[in-house]
Amino acid sequence: MNIFRHLTTLTVLFAFFCFVFPQEAYAYLDPGTGSYIFQLVIAVLIGGSFAIKLYWGKIKTFFASLFSKKTKR
Amino acid sequence: MMTDKKLSSSFRDPSGFLFFRDGLIYRQVNTIYKENYDRLINSGLYETLVHGELLIPHDEVDVDYARSDKAYKIIKPELISFISYPYEWCFSQFKGAALTTLKIQKKSLNFGMSLKDCSTYNIQFRKGKPVFIDTLSFEKHREGQPWVAYRQFCQHFLAPLALMSYQDIRLNQLFRVYMDGVPLDLTSSLLPFRTRFVFSLLSHIHLHAKSQKHFADKSIDMTRHKMSHEGFLGLIDNLESTIKKLKWQPLGTEWADYYEDTNYSSDALHHKKEIVAEFLDKINPGIVWDLGANVGMFSRIASDRGIQTISFDIDPAAVEKNYLECVRKGETNILPLLLDLTNPSPGIGWQNQERTSLLERGPTDAVFALALIHHLAISNNLPFDKIASFLSEICNSLIIEFVPKNDSQVQRLLSTREDIFPDYIEQVFEGEFLRYFTIESSVRIRDSERTLYLMQRRKFR
Repeated sequence: MNIFRHLTTLTVLFAFFCFVFPQEAYAYLDPGTGSYIFQLVIAVLIGGSFAIKLYWGKIKTFFASLFSKKTKR
Repeated sequence: MMTDKKLSSSFRDPSGFLFFRDGLIYRQVNTIYKENYDRLINSGLYETLVHGELLIPHDEVDVDYARSDKAYKIIKPELISFISYPYEWCFSQFKGAALTTLKIQKKSLNFGMSLKDCSTYNIQFRKGKPVFIDTLSFEKHREGQPWVAYRQFCQHFLAPLALMSYQDIRLNQLFRVYMDGVPLDLTSSLLPFRTRFVFSLLSHIHLHAKSQKHFADKSIDMTRHKMSHEGFLGLIDNLESTIKKLKWQPLGTEWADYYEDTNYSSDALHHKKEIVAEFLDKINPGIVWDLGANVGMFSRIASDRGIQTISFDIDPAAVEKNYLECVRKGETNILPLLLDLTNPSPGIGWQNQERTSLLERGPTDAVFALALIHHLAISNNLPFDKIASFLSEICNSLIIEFVPKNDSQVQRLLSTREDIFPDYIEQVFEGEFLRYFTIESSVRIRDSERTLYLMQRRKFR
């Protein structure tokens, strides 16, 4: 299921940046830091599905054309 | 002599500020914003957005108008006839404002720019549609950089809309307390548990809030981390689809007859409309505030005459229905807004001046107070003197309806409480109002006990 895959990935990513993300001392940042980091993480997840969504039309057209060629033969 | 006044809400952004001169509004664009301003104009983005009615149009005027030596340009934006705030918007107005912001962001990216500011206060309603009013909120988009306004969008738009949709329509009132949008941790705690199973809300609200808390006291080198172009576009696209899916409809209400609960005969209603129209034609106002407008039936007598009409009501469902009708009919002269007259919008923000009170946004040319007086006087224990005094502060002309005690609507209000209103009679009403107004005309509505008055505010009291 799509939603479970999303949730699992998100949880893993969230756990990753919560505990593993390097924390360095040369730039003090306000509470907006969490938003900034979270945005990077969520964008990885959403970006992938967005790319598929963008190319979905092209993929469908590609297979449709393949199918129609076969039918013609 | 020129009179200058800097707008009390315009001071946070070093890119420029708004000021009034001789009653006209101008915006100073500071030299620091030169590169971005030129890009906005020269790239074609400004023209695209203005053509799409998404951004307020402006004219460049003589830079001699500058109020400081930091000025690069002075622009004169089109004046918005009435400034409204998110705590005065119904659900669909809020949703429209959010979608307009995202639409602008998507278009900006096509021109290599991005919104650096996503405040709800940058949206106003112009000719019935949400429009972006801060010309200085655009900046060059740097590939790999995350969206600087993501947090602000979530707090200013997604959080209140999710709360209104999933929890309670009245929660946009949180904006009166939280100037910079509803905090995500608060939103997360107020939203029902089931929203954790909605992927977009789980991420943009619940996990986002946790992330904010986790990193609140931590220092991160943010320059090392880049965001892909697909990731950036995907984020905007995901926020857009999330907002589009948020819905609200009053529960247990048949919209078709939601506000048919009146005691007028059709003849009385028709006559009341005729009198209001006749009074309007006598005073010919530029702007009307209809207080307690319900779904805007009488507001439209004014707006259909080309008069700018603000249609206020306390009920979010009535304002929603009113606004949806504006959208459906493409009406441009009417703006439905939420307002509790007994506690009107106060001045809030820095020095209580960033967002102005209702009174500061007046006075208006004319006020309608139709079928309202009994709600104020009886339901809210407001003496006639207090009502007349308030109304005289906000308008020059007043069209007011007196609803006598024997009217069934008043009887309904009195059915659950003791009648402690011996002065609620027409003679006392007239006497108290005459201290603040002159009565120009009064007409008894046919087939009813009610009377409509046309009053003019006294110049010297």
